[in-house]
Amino acid sequence: MNRNLFLKEIRRNVFSLTIWMIVITLLIVVTMSFYRTFMENQSKVVGMLSLIPKGALQFKGISNFNDLLSVLGFYSANNVIYMMVLGSIFSIVLSSNILLKEEYDKTAEYLLTRPITRSEIFFSKLSVLFTNVFLLNIVTALAGFICMELVMKGPFSIRAFIILSLYTLLLNILFGSIGLFISTLIKRAKPITTFSIGLVLIFYFIFTLSKITEGAAKIGFISPFRFANVDATNPAYTINIWHLAYFIGISLILTGLSYRIYKRKDIYT
Amino acid sequence: MSSPVIDITDLSKYYGKTRGIENINLRIDEGEIFGFIGPNGAGKSTTIRILMNLIFPTGGSARIMGMDVIRDTKKIKMQVGYIPSDASAYSSMSVHEFLSYCIRFYEVHNGEQRISELSELFELDLNRQITDLSLGNRKKVSIIQSLLHSPKLLILDEPTTGLDPLMQSVFFELLRSENKKGMTIFFSSHILGEVQMFCKRVAIIKGGKIIKIEDIDNLRKKQLKKVSVEFRDHMITESFGIQSVENVIAGPGNTLSFMYSGNINELINFMSGKKIINLMIEEPSLDEIFLHYYKN
Repeated sequence: MNRNLFLKEIRRNVFSLTIWMIVITLLIVVTMSFYRTFMENQSKVVGMLSLIPKGALQFKGISNFNDLLSVLGFYSANNVIYMMVLGSIFSIVLSSNILLKEEYDKTAEYLLTRPITRSEIFFSKLSVLFTNVFLLNIVTALAGFICMELVMKGPFSIRAFIILSLYTLLLNILFGSIGLFISTLIKRAKPITTFSIGLVLIFYFIFTLSKITEGAAKIGFISPFRFANVDATNPAYTINIWHLAYFIGISLILTGLSYRIYKRKDIYT
Repeated sequence: MSSPVIDITDLSKYYGKTRGIENINLRIDEGEIFGFIGPNGAGKSTTIRILMNLIFPTGGSARIMGMDVIRDTKKIKMQVGYIPSDASAYSSMSVHEFLSYCIRFYEVHNGEQRISELSELFELDLNRQITDLSLGNRKKVSIIQSLLHSPKLLILDEPTTGLDPLMQSVFFELLRSENKKGMTIFFSSHILGEVQMFCKRVAIIKGGKIIKIEDIDNLRKKQLKKVSVEFRDHMITESFGIQSVENVIAGPGNTLSFMYSGNINELINFMSGKKIINLMIEEPSLDEIFLHYYKN
Protein backbone atom coordinates (compact mmCIF):
# COMPACT_ATOMS: atom_id res chain seq x y z
CA MET A 1 0.00 0.00 0.00
CA ASN A 2 1.20 3.52 -0.76
CA ARG A 3 0.67 5.98 2.11
CA ASN A 4 0.76 9.06 -0.12
CA LEU A 5 -1.97 7.75 -2.39
CA PHE A 6 -4.03 6.43 0.53
CA LEU A 7 -4.04 9.79 2.32
CA LYS A 8 -4.87 11.69 -0.87
CA GLU A 9 -7.83 9.41 -1.54
CA ILE A 10 -9.05 9.63 2.04
CA ARG A 11 -8.96 13.43 1.83
CA ARG A 12 -10.76 13.36 -1.51
CA ASN A 13 -13.61 11.27 -0.08
CA VAL A 14 -13.95 12.83 3.33
CA PHE A 15 -16.66 15.30 2.28
CA SER A 16 -18.79 12.66 0.60
CA LEU A 17 -18.38 10.30 3.57
CA THR A 18 -19.40 13.01 6.01
CA ILE A 19 -22.55 13.81 4.02
CA TRP A 20 -23.55 10.15 3.91
CA MET A 21 -22.91 9.76 7.64
CA ILE A 22 -25.04 12.81 8.43
CA VAL A 23 -27.90 11.71 6.17
CA ILE A 24 -28.09 8.16 7.52
CA THR A 25 -27.63 9.29 11.12
CA LEU A 26 -30.42 11.86 10.74
CA LEU A 27 -32.64 9.18 9.26
CA ILE A 28 -32.00 6.96 12.27
CA VAL A 29 -32.54 9.79 14.76
CA VAL A 30 -35.81 10.87 13.13
CA THR A 31 -37.15 7.30 12.89
CA MET A 32 -36.16 6.36 16.42
CA SER A 33 -37.72 9.53 17.79
CA PHE A 34 -41.10 8.04 16.83
CA TYR A 35 -40.54 4.96 18.98
CA ARG A 36 -42.04 6.37 22.19
CA THR A 37 -45.09 7.73 20.35
CA PHE A 38 -45.40 4.35 18.71
CA MET A 39 -45.33 2.59 22.07
CA GLU A 40 -47.91 4.94 23.53
CA ASN A 41 -50.26 4.20 20.63
CA GLN A 42 -49.26 0.61 20.02
CA SER A 43 -52.77 -0.84 19.90
CA LYS A 44 -53.79 1.60 17.15
CA VAL A 45 -50.58 1.08 15.18
CA VAL A 46 -50.74 -2.70 15.43
CA GLY A 47 -54.34 -2.53 14.28
CA MET A 48 -53.27 -0.47 11.32
CA LEU A 49 -50.37 -2.79 10.51
CA SER A 50 -52.71 -5.78 10.52
CA LEU A 51 -54.23 -4.35 7.32
CA ILE A 52 -50.87 -4.60 5.53
CA PRO A 53 -50.14 -7.92 3.76
CA LYS A 54 -47.94 -10.16 5.88
CA GLY A 55 -45.31 -10.47 3.15
CA ALA A 56 -44.88 -6.72 2.93
CA LEU A 57 -43.81 -6.70 6.57
CA GLN A 58 -41.70 -9.83 6.36
CA PHE A 59 -39.15 -8.27 4.07
CA LYS A 60 -38.48 -5.77 6.80
CA GLY A 61 -37.85 -8.61 9.22
CA ILE A 62 -41.24 -8.35 10.93
CA SER A 63 -42.67 -11.82 11.36
CA ASN A 64 -44.84 -10.80 14.29
CA PHE A 65 -46.34 -7.41 15.15
CA ASN A 66 -44.98 -7.79 18.65
CA ASP A 67 -41.51 -7.59 17.12
CA LEU A 68 -42.10 -3.91 16.60
CA LEU A 69 -42.78 -3.36 20.27
CA SER A 70 -39.19 -4.07 21.23
CA VAL A 71 -36.74 -1.30 20.54
CA LEU A 72 -34.45 -3.61 18.55
CA GLY A 73 -37.39 -4.85 16.46
CA PHE A 74 -38.44 -1.27 15.80
CA TYR A 75 -34.87 -0.28 14.91
CA SER A 76 -34.41 -3.32 12.70
CA ALA A 77 -37.70 -2.88 10.86
CA ASN A 78 -37.45 0.85 10.33
CA ASN A 79 -33.75 1.54 9.95
CA VAL A 80 -31.58 -1.43 9.16
CA ILE A 81 -32.95 -2.21 5.71
CA TYR A 82 -32.49 1.41 4.70
CA MET A 83 -29.03 1.47 6.26
CA MET A 84 -28.29 -1.56 4.15
CA VAL A 85 -29.62 0.02 0.94
CA LEU A 86 -28.06 3.45 1.49
CA GLY A 87 -24.79 2.02 2.77
CA SER A 88 -24.64 -0.30 -0.24
CA ILE A 89 -25.26 2.63 -2.61
CA PHE A 90 -22.47 4.59 -0.90
CA SER A 91 -20.18 1.59 -1.13
CA ILE A 92 -20.87 0.72 -4.78
CA VAL A 93 -20.64 4.35 -5.94
CA LEU A 94 -17.30 4.75 -4.18
CA SER A 95 -15.88 1.44 -5.37
CA SER A 96 -17.02 1.78 -8.97
CA ASN A 97 -15.31 5.16 -9.20
CA ILE A 98 -12.21 4.67 -7.10
CA LEU A 99 -10.10 3.21 -9.92
CA LEU A 100 -12.15 4.29 -12.91
CA LYS A 101 -12.27 7.97 -11.97
CA GLU A 102 -8.52 8.23 -12.58
CA GLU A 103 -9.20 7.10 -16.16
CA TYR A 104 -12.14 9.27 -17.10
CA ASP A 105 -10.68 12.29 -15.30
CA LYS A 106 -7.50 11.65 -17.30
CA THR A 107 -5.36 11.61 -14.16
CA ALA A 108 -4.34 7.95 -14.54
CA GLU A 109 -1.41 9.04 -16.68
CA TYR A 110 -0.02 10.93 -13.71
CA LEU A 111 -0.70 8.22 -11.17
CA LEU A 112 0.56 5.27 -13.19
CA THR A 113 3.73 7.02 -14.24
CA ARG A 114 4.84 7.52 -10.63
CA PRO A 115 7.13 4.96 -9.01
CA ILE A 116 4.26 2.85 -7.80
CA THR A 117 3.14 -0.61 -8.89
CA ARG A 118 -0.39 -1.43 -9.94
CA SER A 119 -0.65 -3.71 -6.90
CA GLU A 120 0.16 -0.78 -4.64
CA ILE A 121 -2.42 1.38 -6.40
CA PHE A 122 -5.06 -1.33 -6.16
CA PHE A 123 -4.49 -2.09 -2.48
CA SER A 124 -4.22 1.58 -1.53
CA LYS A 125 -7.55 2.26 -3.18
CA LEU A 126 -9.06 -0.89 -1.68
CA SER A 127 -7.93 0.26 1.76
CA VAL A 128 -9.62 3.61 1.15
CA LEU A 129 -12.81 1.80 0.19
CA PHE A 130 -12.75 -0.40 3.31
CA THR A 131 -11.88 2.52 5.56
CA ASN A 132 -14.81 4.54 4.23
CA VAL A 133 -17.27 1.64 4.47
CA PHE A 134 -16.08 0.75 7.99
CA LEU A 135 -16.32 4.35 9.18
CA LEU A 136 -19.81 4.77 7.73
CA ASN A 137 -20.97 1.54 9.37
CA ILE A 138 -19.35 2.29 12.73
CA VAL A 139 -20.77 5.82 12.92
CA THR A 140 -24.28 4.85 11.82
CA ALA A 141 -24.36 1.75 14.05
CA LEU A 142 -23.19 3.89 16.95
CA ALA A 143 -25.92 6.42 16.16
CA GLY A 144 -28.46 3.58 16.15
CA PHE A 145 -27.14 2.22 19.43
CA ILE A 146 -27.26 5.61 21.15
CA CYS A 147 -30.77 6.28 19.83
CA MET A 148 -31.97 2.90 21.13
CA GLU A 149 -30.38 3.56 24.52
CA LEU A 150 -32.18 6.89 24.68
CA VAL A 151 -35.66 5.72 23.70
CA MET A 152 -35.72 2.09 24.95
CA LYS A 153 -38.33 0.82 27.33
CA GLY A 154 -36.56 -2.34 28.34
CA PRO A 155 -33.31 -4.12 27.59
CA PHE A 156 -32.32 -5.26 24.12
CA SER A 157 -29.85 -7.84 22.95
CA ILE A 158 -26.50 -6.26 22.19
CA ARG A 159 -25.44 -9.50 20.55
CA ALA A 160 -28.37 -9.29 18.11
CA PHE A 161 -27.56 -5.64 17.48
CA ILE A 162 -23.95 -6.53 16.65
CA ILE A 163 -25.09 -9.29 14.28
CA LEU A 164 -27.46 -6.85 12.55
CA SER A 165 -24.62 -4.36 12.17
CA LEU A 166 -22.29 -7.08 10.91
CA TYR A 167 -24.79 -8.11 8.23
CA THR A 168 -25.05 -4.46 7.15
CA LEU A 169 -21.28 -4.19 6.95
CA LEU A 170 -20.93 -7.46 5.01
CA LEU A 171 -23.61 -6.40 2.54
CA ASN A 172 -21.93 -3.02 2.02
CA ILE A 173 -18.56 -4.71 1.45
CA LEU A 174 -20.12 -7.13 -1.02
CA PHE A 175 -21.59 -4.27 -3.04
CA GLY A 176 -18.22 -2.54 -2.81
CA SER A 177 -16.56 -5.54 -4.41
CA ILE A 178 -19.28 -5.68 -7.10
CA GLY A 179 -18.63 -2.02 -7.97
CA LEU A 180 -14.89 -2.57 -8.07
CA PHE A 181 -15.26 -5.60 -10.32
CA ILE A 182 -17.58 -3.85 -12.78
CA SER A 183 -15.27 -0.84 -12.98
CA THR A 184 -12.31 -2.99 -13.98
CA LEU A 185 -14.36 -4.47 -16.82
CA ILE A 186 -14.99 -1.06 -18.39
CA LYS A 187 -12.56 -0.64 -21.26
CA ARG A 188 -13.18 2.94 -22.32
CA ALA A 189 -13.59 4.83 -19.08
CA LYS A 190 -16.84 6.59 -18.36
CA PRO A 191 -18.72 7.18 -15.10
CA ILE A 192 -20.91 4.24 -14.07
CA THR A 193 -22.49 5.83 -10.99
CA THR A 194 -26.06 5.65 -12.29
CA PHE A 195 -25.61 2.04 -13.32
CA SER A 196 -24.15 1.16 -9.92
CA ILE A 197 -27.00 2.77 -7.98
CA GLY A 198 -29.46 1.07 -10.30
CA LEU A 199 -27.87 -2.29 -9.58
CA VAL A 200 -28.35 -1.92 -5.81
CA LEU A 201 -31.95 -0.84 -6.29
CA ILE A 202 -32.65 -3.71 -8.68
CA PHE A 203 -31.27 -6.22 -6.17
CA TYR A 204 -33.35 -4.61 -3.46
CA PHE A 205 -36.42 -4.72 -5.67
CA ILE A 206 -35.84 -8.42 -6.43
CA PHE A 207 -35.47 -9.12 -2.72
CA THR A 208 -38.68 -7.21 -1.90
CA LEU A 209 -40.56 -8.96 -4.69
CA SER A 210 -39.44 -12.36 -3.47
CA LYS A 211 -40.67 -11.57 0.02
CA ILE A 212 -44.10 -10.25 -0.87
CA THR A 213 -44.88 -12.63 -3.74
CA GLU A 214 -45.08 -16.27 -2.79
CA GLY A 215 -44.43 -17.49 -6.34
CA ALA A 216 -41.28 -15.38 -6.61
CA ALA A 217 -39.60 -16.60 -3.42
CA LYS A 218 -36.79 -18.35 -5.28
CA ILE A 219 -35.64 -15.35 -7.30
CA GLY A 220 -34.77 -13.70 -4.02
CA PHE A 221 -31.62 -15.81 -3.93
CA ILE A 222 -30.21 -13.71 -6.78
CA SER A 223 -30.15 -10.74 -4.45
CA PRO A 224 -27.46 -10.30 -1.78
CA PHE A 225 -30.14 -8.69 0.43
CA ARG A 226 -31.69 -12.14 0.78
CA PHE A 227 -28.66 -13.32 2.77
CA ALA A 228 -28.68 -10.47 5.27
CA ASN A 229 -31.02 -11.65 8.00
CA VAL A 230 -32.66 -8.73 9.81
CA ASP A 231 -35.03 -10.78 12.02
CA ALA A 232 -33.19 -9.59 15.12
CA THR A 233 -36.02 -10.20 17.61
CA ASN A 234 -36.09 -13.89 16.86
CA PRO A 235 -34.68 -15.63 20.00
CA ALA A 236 -32.69 -17.96 17.72
CA TYR A 237 -31.23 -15.02 15.80
CA THR A 238 -27.61 -15.68 15.00
CA ILE A 239 -25.18 -15.29 12.17
CA ASN A 240 -25.70 -17.97 9.58
CA ILE A 241 -22.34 -19.51 8.77
CA TRP A 242 -23.35 -20.18 5.14
CA HIS A 243 -24.50 -16.62 4.68
CA LEU A 244 -21.27 -15.41 6.23
CA ALA A 245 -19.33 -17.64 3.82
CA TYR A 246 -21.45 -16.28 0.94
CA PHE A 247 -20.64 -12.65 1.76
CA ILE A 248 -16.96 -13.21 2.42
CA GLY A 249 -16.54 -15.66 -0.47
CA ILE A 250 -18.22 -13.53 -3.13
CA SER A 251 -16.44 -10.39 -1.91
CA LEU A 252 -13.06 -12.12 -1.99
CA ILE A 253 -13.65 -13.65 -5.42
CA LEU A 254 -14.79 -10.37 -6.97
CA THR A 255 -11.95 -8.41 -5.35
CA GLY A 256 -9.42 -11.02 -6.47
CA LEU A 257 -10.75 -10.95 -10.04
CA SER A 258 -10.70 -7.15 -10.02
CA TYR A 259 -7.06 -7.22 -8.92
CA ARG A 260 -6.08 -9.65 -11.66
CA ILE A 261 -7.86 -7.64 -14.35
CA TYR A 262 -6.49 -4.30 -13.14
CA LYS A 263 -2.92 -5.60 -13.07
CA ARG A 264 -3.08 -6.32 -16.80
CA LYS A 265 -5.55 -3.66 -17.89
CA ASP A 266 -4.67 -1.22 -20.66
CA ILE A 267 -5.27 2.24 -19.27
CA TYR A 268 -6.54 4.82 -21.75
CA THR A 269 -7.31 8.42 -20.98
CA MET B 1 29.63 0.42 -25.89
CA SER B 2 27.21 1.57 -23.16
CA SER B 3 23.79 -0.03 -22.92
CA PRO B 4 21.00 2.05 -24.44
CA VAL B 5 18.65 4.06 -22.25
CA ILE B 6 15.69 2.90 -24.33
CA ASP B 7 15.89 -0.42 -26.11
CA ILE B 8 12.79 -1.52 -28.01
CA THR B 9 12.78 -4.86 -29.82
CA ASP B 10 10.04 -6.02 -32.23
CA LEU B 11 7.43 -4.20 -30.18
CA SER B 12 3.84 -4.65 -31.35
CA LYS B 13 0.47 -3.65 -30.04
CA TYR B 14 -2.87 -4.64 -31.49
CA TYR B 15 -6.23 -3.41 -30.26
CA GLY B 16 -8.23 -6.49 -31.11
CA LYS B 17 -7.63 -6.79 -34.85
CA THR B 18 -6.70 -3.13 -35.21
CA ARG B 19 -3.02 -2.33 -35.53
CA GLY B 20 -1.48 0.03 -33.02
CA ILE B 21 2.22 -0.49 -33.71
CA GLU B 22 4.02 -3.30 -35.50
CA ASN B 23 7.53 -4.64 -34.94
CA ILE B 24 9.04 -1.40 -33.71
CA ASN B 25 12.79 -1.47 -33.12
CA LEU B 26 14.45 1.50 -31.51
CA ARG B 27 17.59 2.18 -29.54
CA ILE B 28 18.27 5.48 -27.80
CA ASP B 29 21.61 6.10 -26.17
CA GLU B 30 22.43 7.94 -23.00
CA GLY B 31 22.46 11.72 -23.33
CA GLU B 32 20.63 11.77 -26.68
CA ILE B 33 17.82 14.11 -27.60
CA PHE B 34 15.79 11.81 -29.78
CA GLY B 35 12.80 12.89 -31.83
CA PHE B 36 9.86 10.63 -32.50
CA ILE B 37 7.75 12.04 -35.25
CA GLY B 38 4.71 10.99 -37.17
CA PRO B 39 1.18 12.08 -38.02
CA ASN B 40 -1.71 11.62 -35.60
CA GLY B 41 -2.59 7.95 -35.19
CA ALA B 42 0.84 6.79 -36.38
CA GLY B 43 1.61 4.97 -33.14
CA LYS B 44 3.71 7.49 -31.21
CA SER B 45 1.52 7.57 -28.12
CA THR B 46 1.03 3.80 -28.22
CA THR B 47 4.81 3.29 -28.09
CA ILE B 48 5.17 5.78 -25.25
CA ARG B 49 2.27 4.28 -23.32
CA ILE B 50 3.95 0.88 -23.47
CA LEU B 51 7.20 2.39 -22.22
CA MET B 52 5.30 3.95 -19.32
CA ASN B 53 3.43 0.69 -18.62
CA LEU B 54 0.04 2.27 -19.20
CA ILE B 55 -0.75 -0.37 -21.79
CA PHE B 56 0.70 -3.80 -22.42
CA PRO B 57 2.38 -4.91 -25.64
CA THR B 58 0.99 -7.71 -27.78
CA GLY B 59 4.51 -8.77 -28.76
CA GLY B 60 8.15 -7.86 -28.44
CA SER B 61 9.85 -6.18 -25.52
CA ALA B 62 10.96 -2.79 -24.27
CA ARG B 63 13.66 -1.99 -21.78
CA ILE B 64 14.58 1.28 -20.11
CA MET B 65 18.06 1.54 -18.59
CA GLY B 66 18.33 -2.21 -18.99
CA MET B 67 15.15 -2.89 -17.03
CA ASP B 68 11.96 -4.46 -18.36
CA VAL B 69 9.15 -1.91 -18.67
CA ILE B 70 6.57 -4.30 -17.24
CA ARG B 71 8.47 -6.17 -14.54
CA ASP B 72 10.64 -3.32 -13.29
CA THR B 73 8.19 -0.48 -13.83
CA LYS B 74 8.55 0.97 -10.31
CA LYS B 75 12.34 1.15 -10.47
CA ILE B 76 12.18 2.64 -13.96
CA LYS B 77 9.72 5.35 -12.96
CA MET B 78 12.01 6.49 -10.15
CA GLN B 79 14.33 7.69 -12.91
CA VAL B 80 11.91 8.71 -15.63
CA GLY B 81 9.88 11.89 -16.08
CA TYR B 82 6.86 11.92 -18.36
CA ILE B 83 4.80 14.69 -19.90
CA PRO B 84 1.53 13.32 -21.26
CA SER B 85 -0.06 14.85 -24.33
CA ASP B 86 -3.27 15.58 -22.47
CA ALA B 87 -2.50 17.81 -19.52
CA SER B 88 -5.31 16.91 -17.14
CA ALA B 89 -4.69 16.88 -13.41
CA TYR B 90 -6.69 16.57 -10.22
CA SER B 91 -9.10 19.45 -10.57
CA SER B 92 -9.92 19.65 -6.87
CA MET B 93 -6.30 20.42 -5.99
CA SER B 94 -4.30 23.62 -6.13
CA VAL B 95 -1.13 23.61 -8.21
CA HIS B 96 0.99 23.39 -5.07
CA GLU B 97 -1.05 20.53 -3.61
CA PHE B 98 -0.72 18.59 -6.86
CA LEU B 99 3.02 19.12 -7.19
CA SER B 100 3.58 18.25 -3.52
CA TYR B 101 1.50 15.12 -4.00
CA CYS B 102 3.62 14.18 -7.04
CA ILE B 103 6.95 14.72 -5.33
CA ARG B 104 6.05 12.64 -2.29
CA PHE B 105 6.27 9.55 -4.50
CA TYR B 106 10.02 10.11 -4.84
CA GLU B 107 12.89 10.18 -2.41
CA VAL B 108 13.58 13.87 -2.94
CA HIS B 109 14.94 16.00 -0.12
CA ASN B 110 14.68 19.47 -1.68
CA GLY B 111 11.17 19.00 -3.09
CA GLU B 112 9.71 22.34 -2.02
CA GLN B 113 12.75 24.20 -3.32
CA ARG B 114 12.48 22.41 -6.65
CA ILE B 115 8.76 23.28 -6.90
CA SER B 116 9.54 26.96 -6.22
CA GLU B 117 12.40 27.09 -8.74
CA LEU B 118 10.44 25.51 -11.58
CA SER B 119 7.22 27.42 -10.92
CA GLU B 120 9.17 30.69 -10.93
CA LEU B 121 10.87 29.75 -14.18
CA PHE B 122 7.51 29.05 -15.83
CA GLU B 123 5.76 31.96 -14.08
CA LEU B 124 3.15 29.67 -12.58
CA ASP B 125 1.03 30.70 -9.59
CA LEU B 126 1.17 27.81 -7.12
CA ASN B 127 -1.93 28.90 -5.23
CA ARG B 128 -4.34 28.64 -8.14
CA GLN B 129 -6.78 25.75 -8.43
CA ILE B 130 -5.94 23.42 -11.30
CA THR B 131 -9.51 23.57 -12.53
CA ASP B 132 -9.11 27.34 -13.10
CA LEU B 133 -5.97 27.04 -15.23
CA SER B 134 -5.82 27.60 -18.97
CA LEU B 135 -4.51 24.83 -21.24
CA GLY B 136 -1.11 26.53 -21.38
CA ASN B 137 -0.84 26.76 -17.60
CA ARG B 138 -1.96 23.16 -17.17
CA LYS B 139 0.81 22.24 -19.58
CA LYS B 140 3.28 24.11 -17.39
CA VAL B 141 2.08 22.07 -14.40
CA SER B 142 2.61 18.94 -16.45
CA ILE B 143 6.14 19.99 -17.40
CA ILE B 144 7.05 20.88 -13.81
CA GLN B 145 5.77 17.60 -12.36
CA SER B 146 7.92 15.68 -14.85
CA LEU B 147 11.11 17.44 -13.76
CA LEU B 148 10.64 17.58 -9.98
CA HIS B 149 12.71 14.48 -9.24
CA SER B 150 15.49 15.35 -11.74
CA PRO B 151 14.94 12.26 -13.90
CA LYS B 152 17.66 10.63 -15.99
CA LEU B 153 15.23 10.10 -18.86
CA LEU B 154 12.46 12.46 -19.91
CA ILE B 155 9.69 11.19 -22.16
CA LEU B 156 7.65 13.92 -23.82
CA ASP B 157 4.42 13.30 -25.70
CA GLU B 158 3.48 16.42 -27.69
CA PRO B 159 4.83 18.65 -24.90
CA THR B 160 4.41 22.07 -26.49
CA THR B 161 0.67 21.92 -27.18
CA GLY B 162 -0.89 24.99 -25.57
CA LEU B 163 2.41 26.68 -24.66
CA ASP B 164 2.94 30.18 -26.01
CA PRO B 165 6.15 30.78 -28.04
CA LEU B 166 7.86 32.52 -25.10
CA MET B 167 7.23 29.59 -22.78
CA GLN B 168 8.23 27.16 -25.53
CA SER B 169 11.57 28.89 -25.66
CA VAL B 170 11.94 28.73 -21.84
CA PHE B 171 10.99 25.07 -21.99
CA PHE B 172 13.49 24.17 -24.72
CA GLU B 173 16.22 26.12 -22.97
CA LEU B 174 15.55 24.19 -19.77
CA LEU B 175 15.63 20.89 -21.65
CA ARG B 176 18.94 21.75 -23.28
CA SER B 177 20.38 22.64 -19.89
CA GLU B 178 19.12 19.37 -18.35
CA ASN B 179 20.48 17.47 -21.35
CA LYS B 180 23.92 18.99 -20.78
CA LYS B 181 23.76 17.61 -17.24
CA GLY B 182 23.19 14.15 -18.71
CA MET B 183 19.44 13.79 -19.12
CA THR B 184 18.30 11.70 -22.09
CA ILE B 185 15.24 13.10 -23.87
CA PHE B 186 12.70 11.19 -25.93
CA PHE B 187 10.64 13.78 -27.72
CA SER B 188 7.46 12.81 -29.53
CA SER B 189 5.76 15.33 -31.77
CA HIS B 190 3.90 15.78 -35.02
CA ILE B 191 5.57 19.13 -35.63
CA LEU B 192 8.63 18.60 -37.80
CA GLY B 193 9.99 22.09 -37.13
CA GLU B 194 10.40 21.67 -33.37
CA VAL B 195 11.92 18.22 -33.75
CA GLN B 196 14.38 19.50 -36.35
CA MET B 197 15.29 22.41 -34.10
CA PHE B 198 15.71 20.44 -30.90
CA CYS B 199 16.67 16.84 -31.64
CA LYS B 200 19.84 15.22 -32.93
CA ARG B 201 18.28 12.07 -34.25
CA VAL B 202 14.75 11.25 -35.28
CA ALA B 203 12.59 8.22 -35.89
CA ILE B 204 9.74 8.68 -38.34
CA ILE B 205 6.73 6.51 -37.64
CA LYS B 206 3.76 6.00 -39.91
CA GLY B 207 1.01 3.43 -39.93
CA GLY B 208 2.40 1.83 -36.79
CA LYS B 209 5.81 1.18 -38.32
CA ILE B 210 9.09 3.04 -38.08
CA ILE B 211 9.91 3.95 -41.65
CA LYS B 212 13.15 5.80 -41.05
CA ILE B 213 15.62 6.59 -38.31
CA GLU B 214 17.77 9.47 -39.43
CA ASP B 215 20.18 12.12 -38.18
CA ILE B 216 18.54 15.52 -38.16
CA ASP B 217 21.47 16.90 -40.18
CA ASN B 218 20.62 14.52 -43.03
CA LEU B 219 16.97 15.47 -42.87
CA ARG B 220 17.90 19.16 -42.97
CA LYS B 221 20.02 18.63 -46.08
CA LYS B 222 16.91 17.53 -47.92
CA GLN B 223 15.26 20.85 -47.14
CA LEU B 224 11.97 19.98 -48.69
CA LYS B 225 9.70 22.95 -49.37
CA LYS B 226 6.17 23.22 -50.60
CA VAL B 227 5.91 25.94 -53.26
CA SER B 228 2.81 27.49 -54.73
CA VAL B 229 3.16 30.05 -57.57
CA GLU B 230 0.52 32.05 -59.39
CA PHE B 231 1.87 33.19 -62.78
CA ARG B 232 0.46 36.05 -64.80
CA ASP B 233 0.66 34.00 -68.01
CA HIS B 234 -0.32 30.44 -68.62
CA MET B 235 2.46 28.04 -67.70
CA ILE B 236 2.49 24.44 -68.83
CA THR B 237 3.79 21.84 -66.40
CA GLU B 238 6.41 20.54 -68.85
CA SER B 239 8.00 23.98 -69.29
CA PHE B 240 8.84 23.98 -65.63
CA GLY B 241 12.38 22.97 -66.41
CA ILE B 242 14.41 23.13 -63.19
CA GLN B 243 15.91 20.34 -61.12
CA SER B 244 14.50 19.04 -57.82
CA VAL B 245 10.88 19.83 -58.64
CA GLU B 246 8.39 17.06 -58.05
CA ASN B 247 4.67 16.44 -57.76
CA VAL B 248 3.68 19.47 -59.88
CA ILE B 249 -0.06 20.09 -59.65
CA ALA B 250 -1.92 22.68 -61.70
CA GLY B 251 -4.38 24.67 -59.61
CA PRO B 252 -7.07 27.21 -60.51
CA GLY B 253 -6.05 29.99 -62.93
CA ASN B 254 -2.33 29.93 -63.64
CA THR B 255 -1.35 28.47 -60.28
CA LEU B 256 1.15 25.64 -59.97
CA SER B 257 2.01 23.83 -56.73
CA PHE B 258 5.01 21.55 -56.34
CA MET B 259 7.52 20.11 -53.89
CA TYR B 260 11.04 21.50 -54.12
CA SER B 261 14.08 19.88 -52.54
CA GLY B 262 16.92 21.78 -54.26
CA ASN B 263 18.84 24.96 -53.58
CA ILE B 264 16.38 27.75 -52.84
CA ASN B 265 18.55 30.31 -54.73
CA GLU B 266 18.16 28.34 -57.96
CA LEU B 267 14.42 28.44 -57.56
CA ILE B 268 14.41 32.19 -56.95
CA ASN B 269 16.66 32.75 -59.98
CA PHE B 270 14.25 30.77 -62.10
CA MET B 271 11.25 32.67 -60.77
CA SER B 272 12.89 36.05 -61.33
CA GLY B 273 12.58 35.52 -65.09
CA LYS B 274 8.81 35.00 -64.84
CA LYS B 275 5.89 37.34 -64.30
CA ILE B 276 4.51 36.27 -60.93
CA ILE B 277 1.34 37.44 -59.13
CA ASN B 278 1.82 35.46 -55.96
CA LEU B 279 4.48 33.17 -54.50
CA MET B 280 4.20 31.07 -51.37
CA ILE B 281 6.99 28.89 -49.92
CA GLU B 282 6.05 26.89 -46.85
CA GLU B 283 6.96 23.87 -44.72
CA PRO B 284 5.27 20.80 -46.10
CA SER B 285 3.00 18.78 -43.85
CA LEU B 286 4.35 15.54 -42.48
CA ASP B 287 2.13 13.57 -44.79
CA GLU B 288 3.59 15.43 -47.75
CA ILE B 289 7.12 14.67 -46.55
CA PHE B 290 6.26 11.04 -46.11
CA LEU B 291 4.71 10.91 -49.56
CA HIS B 292 7.75 12.60 -51.04
CA TYR B 293 10.48 10.53 -49.43
CA TYR B 294 8.89 7.25 -48.64
CA LYS B 295 6.22 6.60 -51.22
CA ASN B 296 8.28 3.74 -52.54
